[in-house]
Amino acid sequence: MTAIHLENLGKTFGSFTALKNMNLEIADGEFVALLGPSGCGKSTTMNMIAGMIDPSEGAIRFGDRDMRGVPMSRRGVGFVFQNYAIFTHMTVYENLAYGLRATGVAKAQRDRRVHDMAEFLHLTPLLKKPSAGLSVNILQRLAIGRSAIMEPAIFLLDEPLSNVDAAFRAVMRTELKHLQREFRQTMVYVTHDQLEAMTMADRIAVMDHGKLLQVGTPIDVYNNPSSVFVAGFLGSPGMNLVKGRSVEAGGFIRVDLGEAGMSTPLPAHLSASVPEGASVFYGFRPEHCELTDGEGLRLPVTFVERIGARTIVHMGSDGSAVKCVFDNRVPVRNGEVVSLAIDPSNVRVFDAETGAAIGGAN
Amino acid sequence: MASIAFKNVTKRFGDTVAVDNISFEIADNEFFCLFGPPLSGKTTILKLILGLERPDEGEVLIDGKPVNHVSPARRNVAMVFQNLALFPHMTAEENVRFPLVERKMSSDEIAPRVADVVEKLHIGHILHKSPAQLSGGERQRVAIARALVRDPVAYLMDDPISALDARLREETRVELKRIQHELGRTLVYVTHDQEEAMSVADRIAVLENGVIRQVGAPSDIYDNPNSAYVAGMLGAPAMNLIDLDPDRPSALGGALPLEGITVPAGATKIGIRPEDLTVGYDGGGAGKPVEVYEVEPLGGVTIVTLQSEDITLRAMVRGQPQIRPSSEVSLSVANGQACFFNGQGEALSA
Amino acid sequence: MTADILEAKAEPVEHEDTRDSRRLGFSLTLPAQLLILFIAVFPILMQIYISLTDWSPLDGISWWQAHQLWNGFANYTDLVADDRFWSALWRTVLVMAICVPAEFLLGLGLAILFVDNFPGRGFLYSVLLVPMMVVPAVAGYMFFMLFQSGGPVNDILSFFYGAPVTIAWLSDPDLAFFAVIASDIWQWTPLMFLILLAGMVGVPEDQLRAATLLGASWTTRFRTIVLPRMKTIIIIALAIRVIENFKVFDNFYIMTGGGPGVATETISIYIYKVTQQELIWGYVAAVALVILISLSVVSAFAIKRMSQSREAG
Repeated sequence: MTAIHLENLGKTFGSFTALKNMNLEIADGEFVALLGPSGCGKSTTMNMIAGMIDPSEGAIRFGDRDMRGVPMSRRGVGFVFQNYAIFTHMTVYENLAYGLRATGVAKAQRDRRVHDMAEFLHLTPLLKKPSAGLSVNILQRLAIGRSAIMEPAIFLLDEPLSNVDAAFRAVMRTELKHLQREFRQTMVYVTHDQLEAMTMADRIAVMDHGKLLQVGTPIDVYNNPSSVFVAGFLGSPGMNLVKGRSVEAGGFIRVDLGEAGMSTPLPAHLSASVPEGASVFYGFRPEHCELTDGEGLRLPVTFVERIGARTIVHMGSDGSAVKCVFDNRVPVRNGEVVSLAIDPSNVRVFDAETGAAIGGAN
Repeated sequence: MASIAFKNVTKRFGDTVAVDNISFEIADNEFFCLFGPPLSGKTTILKLILGLERPDEGEVLIDGKPVNHVSPARRNVAMVFQNLALFPHMTAEENVRFPLVERKMSSDEIAPRVADVVEKLHIGHILHKSPAQLSGGERQRVAIARALVRDPVAYLMDDPISALDARLREETRVELKRIQHELGRTLVYVTHDQEEAMSVADRIAVLENGVIRQVGAPSDIYDNPNSAYVAGMLGAPAMNLIDLDPDRPSALGGALPLEGITVPAGATKIGIRPEDLTVGYDGGGAGKPVEVYEVEPLGGVTIVTLQSEDITLRAMVRGQPQIRPSSEVSLSVANGQACFFNGQGEALSA
Repeated sequence: MTADILEAKAEPVEHEDTRDSRRLGFSLTLPAQLLILFIAVFPILMQIYISLTDWSPLDGISWWQAHQLWNGFANYTDLVADDRFWSALWRTVLVMAICVPAEFLLGLGLAILFVDNFPGRGFLYSVLLVPMMVVPAVAGYMFFMLFQSGGPVNDILSFFYGAPVTIAWLSDPDLAFFAVIASDIWQWTPLMFLILLAGMVGVPEDQLRAATLLGASWTTRFRTIVLPRMKTIIIIALAIRVIENFKVFDNFYIMTGGGPGVATETISIYIYKVTQQELIWGYVAAVALVILISLSVVSAFAIKRMSQSREAG
């Protein structure tokens, strides 16, 4: 098993910079998710780890080995493509056996390993069938099995669940996690879905526009986002970011949120870091609000989404558009003006210009 | 008068029965959602409404009139395709005008209709652009405008947002709901994403293998599913289905106490949603302790997976509680929120 | 429910759509089909008719009165005993057995070279297609001149040999055979190259990458992914060339006239000569019919294989 070191990695395609200054250490046996919207450079990074494209700058090392010049067939990585790239002219068995055959594994052993993997992925009844025309859910497992059977030290998955229907996605998330635990591979997983990253990864690397923004455990990145982008990208819905101006009041800083009113005083460590009169984003997560009869931010309800376990209430508009999550019994109606109380310890402040978080962790 | 109605419609493809004796009504101006797993008949129903398929049995009615033998072009139902299918070589405005130009309407007749739809969908400022120059959301609105310019009785959408990024999906479904509300037109919407269905629909039809299992408002179906199947289809993680203990008011061999909950006669299983399964991790619970198998912190909530007597249960706990895998917790049912099912999977009321 | 999802199958076939599209396709091609029917079927019927007679234009009667010279299957039995026919047939098969595989392998080799981009690829591609565009008769004449005793081929050989080489290529039965085959290979390898390249380019890139990542070498990938996925195209290419090559006439006739003697007399040249020189059209009709049937069997086989491959995906 192997650790992956990405050192100052960068890639340009002509005049377009797909990736710049990517520094990331992935420990042996760790499951890291590269999370970001389309075009953020996550797939480019992974393609370079696999050896499909060469870096324009920087280096990639597997353990001590510099991978520059090492062709993809000799990197020992497993790769699951977004569209699976199943050999549709072969049967399920032949697909699973392909890598073993190509590397000269003896027939008896090959057969045993194919059957074991098929068992693990519930593909046994389909072994003799041609792989063309099988459903997406089956092809997905076949793609994973075909790579996993080679027992690669490093497993790369490029948005493997994006073509799969919602219900099956949950099942596959669990199976992938077990696969990684079972084989203890170093796994790099590219996705745009923060839920996948949160549930599966040991650590998340959040990327946007070719830059690595933040790395950390899911909960760390969730609780202490380093920028407005990360704050808004994680969480369903993402963190609320209301624009305002900091005001000094009785030794503490409060944020003037315009129509919504004045925020409660910021906790001590934030009051110390936030300068007065600064243009900031006042950030709080949707689950950290409470409806109160007393003092709080005053916002009109514009939309109510009741989706089973939770209710998402949309409030305010434009700069003070906010979403809050409550359990499904909450009695709100469209048009009502409500008062929101937010626990100060859950408040985060960001510089409105740079988007960077102000003040350290709690 | 119902906008669209199906009366005992059956449709077969060779040996497969795609749609099996289904009946339902969609009211005027309703946002109606067809929800179910792949191959449950949702797309076939859309095609039957459009007229791309004819029923083998039963009647399809639009605006109260049977349309089994009316060709798609004459049914006045519009479709917005998953890939939007905007004509790339035309501007947004030309795209929107296209259906009317096709019908050989004069410019005088076309202009006011186009203006009306453009205003409703707020696309006046992008009419001159070509689809390639528009954002995803703008393209969607142009596609909807094109569908609506014919003033159809209803418009249909087949899984329009599943291909989008997760974040964009959340925003677009709210947008679609708003648009439908403003336009006041019947919308039949197909999806396999349960959260999406619950968010957008006025009413949902839950399908399984070509049969409608239940129709109703999202919160109704969620709170009162008529079967274990429907209960399992809405809500993620899915509802926990647990066998009741034969001799006492509990489940899981005493791990889940059911004091104070009335168990209806004939019930063999209890269904508890993850958000209603309370996890006590500070010790001192009434039931037998259960082992924690997995803890998935999602930020706003934490999914705790438990193993007991060979079954896997999931609880959704708010916030970020400090629970460790392999530790032991006690379970209880919050506020008596439970469903009961008999041996055939039918829901029973207490 | 999980079990259902895990075993969900792919979409069933849409019968109504297929039926409608087939109906439309049929009606659109109907005029052309009728035309071909007339152009192809009518002459064949005419040919069958004449092949059962001993007619010749010199007999002074119109062809539709040829029934007066009815001789039943006599032409066919003569055919079986005709040594010259059989040797021409054998020679044609031999030509085909050398030309088609050679063109296939050379075309495949070129396709492999051209699959990945390299500087000048576009230009070189056009250059390589030129031989195919030359009129076959002109190609024949070109090669006729090339293989003269005082011609360029001998000049080049003289250069490498160090002493004057004056091989009389076209006067020697074996060497002439080689020369005509060379001209065919030169002219038609580009066609193979074109078709095979199109097939090779259509092999999905992702599958090749997946195979590489699984440890497959270039040759393994070629054998297990590229060639199997080119199966249909290969069959088409081979079928086209086999049928066309079997009928080869222009360049062979111009280069050697079928000679020296009958050393390069293929079946088409044989038919032509018998028609022109001996004017026994009834007999020739029988010969041509036999050839037609054999070639039809070959193409039917190829079409069957093609549709099998298409269903398999």
